[in-house]
Amino acid sequence: MAGIGLVLNTAKDGLLTQQYAMNVVGHNIANVSTDGFSKQTAVIGARTPCPYGGFIFGRGAELQEIKREMDTFVETSLRNSTSGYSSLTEKEIYLSVLEGVFNENSGRSINSQFDAFWNAWHDLSNNPSGSAERAVLIESGALLSQSFQDIQNDLDRFDLELNLSMDAGAQQINQITSQIAGLNKQIISMEITGNANDLRDRRDTLIRSLSEYLDVNVFEEGEGHLTVTTGRGYTLVSKTDSYDLSFESGRVRWQGSSGSVDITDTIKGGKMGGWLEVRDEIIPKYKDELHELAGAVIWEVNNIHSRGVGLKGMSSVTGTYAVSDTNAALVENDTTEETSGLAFRDRISEGEFKIRVYNSSGELVEPPAEITIDETTTLNDLVSTIDTEAHLTASVSDGKLTLTADSGSGYTFAFSDDTSGVLAALGINTFFKGADAQDITMNDALVKDRDLIAAGRVYDDGLFYAGDNSNARSLAALKDEKVTLNRYTYDGDSTSGEDTFQGYYTYLVGSVGIKSASVRREQEYAEVVVNQLTEKRDNTSAVSLDEEMTNLIKYQHAYAAAAKLVSTADEMLQTLLATR
Amino acid sequence: MRVSNKAVYDTVTQNLARTSDAMFRANQVVSTGKKINRLSDDPVGLVSVLGLRSSLEYIGQLERNITMGNSWLNMGETALTKVEDILSQAKALTIQMSSANVGEKERANSAEIAEGFLQQVLSLANTMVDGRYIFAGTNTDTAPFELETVNEDPDYRMVDYNGNGTEFSIEIAKDIHVGVGRDGESIFGSDDFAWADPNTGQNNIFKTLIDLKTALENNDVPSIQTTMGELDSQMDRIRGLIADTGSKLNRLDLKANIIQDLRLTYTDRKSELEDADITEAMMDLAAKELAYQAALNSSAKMMQMSLVDFI
Repeated sequence: MAGIGLVLNTAKDGLLTQQYAMNVVGHNIANVSTDGFSKQTAVIGARTPCPYGGFIFGRGAELQEIKREMDTFVETSLRNSTSGYSSLTEKEIYLSVLEGVFNENSGRSINSQFDAFWNAWHDLSNNPSGSAERAVLIESGALLSQSFQDIQNDLDRFDLELNLSMDAGAQQINQITSQIAGLNKQIISMEITGNANDLRDRRDTLIRSLSEYLDVNVFEEGEGHLTVTTGRGYTLVSKTDSYDLSFESGRVRWQGSSGSVDITDTIKGGKMGGWLEVRDEIIPKYKDELHELAGAVIWEVNNIHSRGVGLKGMSSVTGTYAVSDTNAALVENDTTEETSGLAFRDRISEGEFKIRVYNSSGELVEPPAEITIDETTTLNDLVSTIDTEAHLTASVSDGKLTLTADSGSGYTFAFSDDTSGVLAALGINTFFKGADAQDITMNDALVKDRDLIAAGRVYDDGLFYAGDNSNARSLAALKDEKVTLNRYTYDGDSTSGEDTFQGYYTYLVGSVGIKSASVRREQEYAEVVVNQLTEKRDNTSAVSLDEEMTNLIKYQHAYAAAAKLVSTADEMLQTLLATR
Repeated sequence: MRVSNKAVYDTVTQNLARTSDAMFRANQVVSTGKKINRLSDDPVGLVSVLGLRSSLEYIGQLERNITMGNSWLNMGETALTKVEDILSQAKALTIQMSSANVGEKERANSAEIAEGFLQQVLSLANTMVDGRYIFAGTNTDTAPFELETVNEDPDYRMVDYNGNGTEFSIEIAKDIHVGVGRDGESIFGSDDFAWADPNTGQNNIFKTLIDLKTALENNDVPSIQTTMGELDSQMDRIRGLIADTGSKLNRLDLKANIIQDLRLTYTDRKSELEDADITEAMMDLAAKELAYQAALNSSAKMMQMSLVDFI
């Protein structure tokens, strides 16, 4: 059958093939800026030849396949590094906000508040009876407490925002996985006839967005569908089914076919991985350290303050810390289970303190009440001991100790020589109240009556003087005192060390900077890797207009030639028909 | 190698972003004048800067303490010098009045002068600085010395001390304190003063002056001569105290000088760590600007080229 008919047929196939190829070129050009589009190539091949007249004749060309240009290895590497990069980007964003929280150049720098606070004690020691000095001290104490609380609140807001992001992230992931499952179904049914190139592109784009959220593993299976699992193997997409993630009370849960599993700790990459690391490792470290610092400041200041005396005695005082069990020993005992429930209970030791009582003209009522705290003393014991002292009444309400001097006759009292720390632990005659960075505030009693700020101490003769600055001096000296403070790691472990308050805080701020700088470096490096891989992928898969224009001309010429073939065959037929 | 259009555009975008970011940072250094604009810019340097800032605050506090100490000590020195002056006048009076040439009437008349001395010393002993008594120990808010009449007998008078024995002190360096106020009782004495100088019998300036007045009124020459001896030893003691105050003032001066030097050193060091070298920063900014311009230029040229234009 290798007649002119074959020539015409070959010419027809040539025309069609070039036209198809032109279609592919047109599709490529149209998608030059489509994100995730892979360049398609028309694969043109020679048709199966046929034997005729002792020869084997070629039968022209045909379009064999429309191929999608992609490199699986690059695609997989890009996906994995995208996970890491997104995780680092989120960490970098939150850490740079964290840097702002601890910004030492701003007005609420804790470091400068500390300086102001200690200087206020110095100023008070220069003028112990000065009312202005006392007002400044109250103000700087309140500012210091406020700064602690502000930072703590900012850190709490991080948790809130991160949880919101993760909730939205889980929903986003569910949407993506259900779309992937849908595409799996379409691809399976469509690929019976050929390559579902554009659907595959769309699916790959979705996989890439998914890997921005968490670390995933992806396998292609026989029918062209993808199986997607989390980094640790929890299936997210299996053929045409998808399994959702849910975010409940701060935990990420996988809703598998046989019930839900908490997978929070297995997520290591993507935005979710970054958010989780910030929320569960980075923020807790700084929160813990701030609590540690605030707790130590409260205790050390209170402990010295509670041993001092103001410009006048007190007629009544109520503790700021509540005891949960008034029958429990105040000194912390490791062997019994019972606990007084006081925030600073582990600081109380066996010891004693004195209460001096003064009459309305400021004269000492002898002898001083000497109160002993031994290992079995409970709050109730303390109350009954003090109650037996002349002119003093003690009571407990809501776990807080109240001491009152005889009313009406103008008696007042003052504390001294506390070797047990029980006064500070109960919040009697203290400067701060609260136990950590969250609730540190000034003791209201001092704010109401500044004269109660204990700049001095009761002298051995039982009297106290307006110009005595010994307690204020001890408090000002706390600035350089080394105290035992725990440092935390990002894993939540702690090691105990000695440092001054400001030394500890400076170290904390420095570690925020170091962490942020190292995450930024890692992120910059990951960005370079992702960019390189993206470039590599694009150079394989994305459209080059120059190439398409060349192809356009190539196919155009081929088309013109095939058309010429038709007209030549036509002329040949005319010639044949004219032979009569 | 095949280069896709997307890769070209992406690379241009990334490069421009990177160079403009570098320019932005260089500009930040120039406009703030600081090398450390964020904690992560130089965490280690920042830690030192924070330490130095804190030290400078402390130094500022010490300067205030020293200024305050100076005013107390100066006031104390002035008061003691005046007391010494009065005591020497009193001594001159005793010498004059114990002379045999002086008669009973003249002695009686000069009793008022002795009373004047007493009142002046009393007022000097109650010297105040900023509303606080400097010779009261730490009981600074109550006048330390009070002249009292015993049993409503105008001839039986004594001076009470209301202060205490702890001298008021200030901090001039870590753990170093200087007493700037004084225990008035050990200077002037008082009636219930237990301590007495074994050589002269007693060291109560007020009692000496009261005794002098009484002796003059009573024309009691031997008593006048006794007070003369007492005044000598009291003047000696006051001179000792003036010298002591002077040496304390010297100590504060010395400390103030050291602090001034320290302030300079700390400020220098802090500036070195956190302040940008403006020349260097400007050069850096210029270099970054140039890089950005070059990137803009080449990118624009590259993006314009396409085969489409030639077909």
